[in-house]
Amino acid sequence: MEEKIKKEELAKKLITSLIESNVTENDIKKFIRETKEYPFHGIAVDLPYLELTKKLLHGTGIRLIAPISYPLGGMTTETKIRQLQYAIEKGADEANVSLNYSAIKSGDFAKVLDDLKRVVEAAKSKIEIVAVLQSPILTNEEKVKVCNLIFDAGVRAIKVASGFGWNTRPEDVMLIRREFRDKFRIEASGGIRTTEQALEMFALGADLCHTSTWQKVLEGAK
Amino acid sequence: MMKKSITKYELAGMIDHTLLKIDATYDNIKKLCLEAEKYHFASVAINPIHIPLAKKLLKGSRVKICAALAFYIGAYPPEIKEYEARDAVAKGADELDMLINVGALKAGRYDIIEEEIKGLVRAAEGKITKVILETCLLTDEEIVKACQIAKKCGASFVKTSTGFRKPGATIHHVKLMRETLGTGMGVKAAGGIHTAEQALAMIQAGANRIGTSSGVEIIEGLE
Repeated sequence: MEEKIKKEELAKKLITSLIESNVTENDIKKFIRETKEYPFHGIAVDLPYLELTKKLLHGTGIRLIAPISYPLGGMTTETKIRQLQYAIEKGADEANVSLNYSAIKSGDFAKVLDDLKRVVEAAKSKIEIVAVLQSPILTNEEKVKVCNLIFDAGVRAIKVASGFGWNTRPEDVMLIRREFRDKFRIEASGGIRTTEQALEMFALGADLCHTSTWQKVLEGAK
Repeated sequence: MMKKSITKYELAGMIDHTLLKIDATYDNIKKLCLEAEKYHFASVAINPIHIPLAKKLLKGSRVKICAALAFYIGAYPPEIKEYEARDAVAKGADELDMLINVGALKAGRYDIIEEEIKGLVRAAEGKITKVILETCLLTDEEIVKACQIAKKCGASFVKTSTGFRKPGATIHHVKLMRETLGTGMGVKAAGGIHTAEQALAMIQAGANRIGTSSGVEIIEGLE
């Protein structure tokens, strides 16, 4: 019988989040009170709650993550940069940045690269950029092409999908790992609700898993 | 067959022809703009990344460019929302549809709702503003409160929904919004409206603008 993974060990490879329209300050407080019992890699919250969450996470080592133009990627480069600057001011450690998916689907890869490059420039190495690939809406050819652009823009972490109905498929984790070896940190996201699912993603090459149902994912660990 | 209570031209003039899909291509946006011209829709409602393209395509047209702001989560600080609104105006938007911070409303943080709507109106510099409530997440009481704040802050319209959550616009909510706002402000019904019958029912309930991705079908379906 295989040894069960320890909860602490698993938590280190998980990112949890409370990103929704109707989230209140009290929801955040309750959420952080519960989650900070475990050494998660990171916690993502909407921009208005970064400052509060930073304070609540003080001393835990859990990284604070900000969503940028999330999840549609319909915001302009200028707005993304403004959001990123705000996230830096409030002490966020990482930013999950949506790409210009319309430009990808229109074959305008120059625009995709320009947008991400300008975001990376604005980050001034003060915040780690994670590019949200959004693989479910891309063809395999587009996935590879965009991963190359992400690398060219200087980004070394990819969140495969945003969640919110766009889920990471195991084959997409495999594809990125196979094509790009160790060039990227790969984060699986969307629909990961059990320990087994998370462990499968890790086995296929994911470095981190995002889950909003962290209790369920930790349940199968000892 | 629908009763002819309104002409096609009149109905088209109330429609925001909408495309906010994550994978909308430049060609899709072109088609949207051409249709809006052909059918005389009030506006094309699009994500901010598409404003420059729509601006170019609709040069000299009466069709307005309506930007969807804070989409579709809405949880952004007021200063970020105001920045995005200014950016949209600078790029050529004629109308600004902004989702409120729903969580702040629920928490009774009316100061935040007021601040973000004031920032939107300020950034709009006289252009049309529409405050989106996402009614499916709200109680009637919260809807009334948000309408009152929007009115007080000088917004042009209150709008039911983003279209990203179900249910979208309902007759009950449109009526409630119209009752609360009186006649001096606009009410935009959006989300889940796909037929002429639905559109007319929303107008009957008090809406004077319709947000829909089915504008062509709606106009063609009006007898």
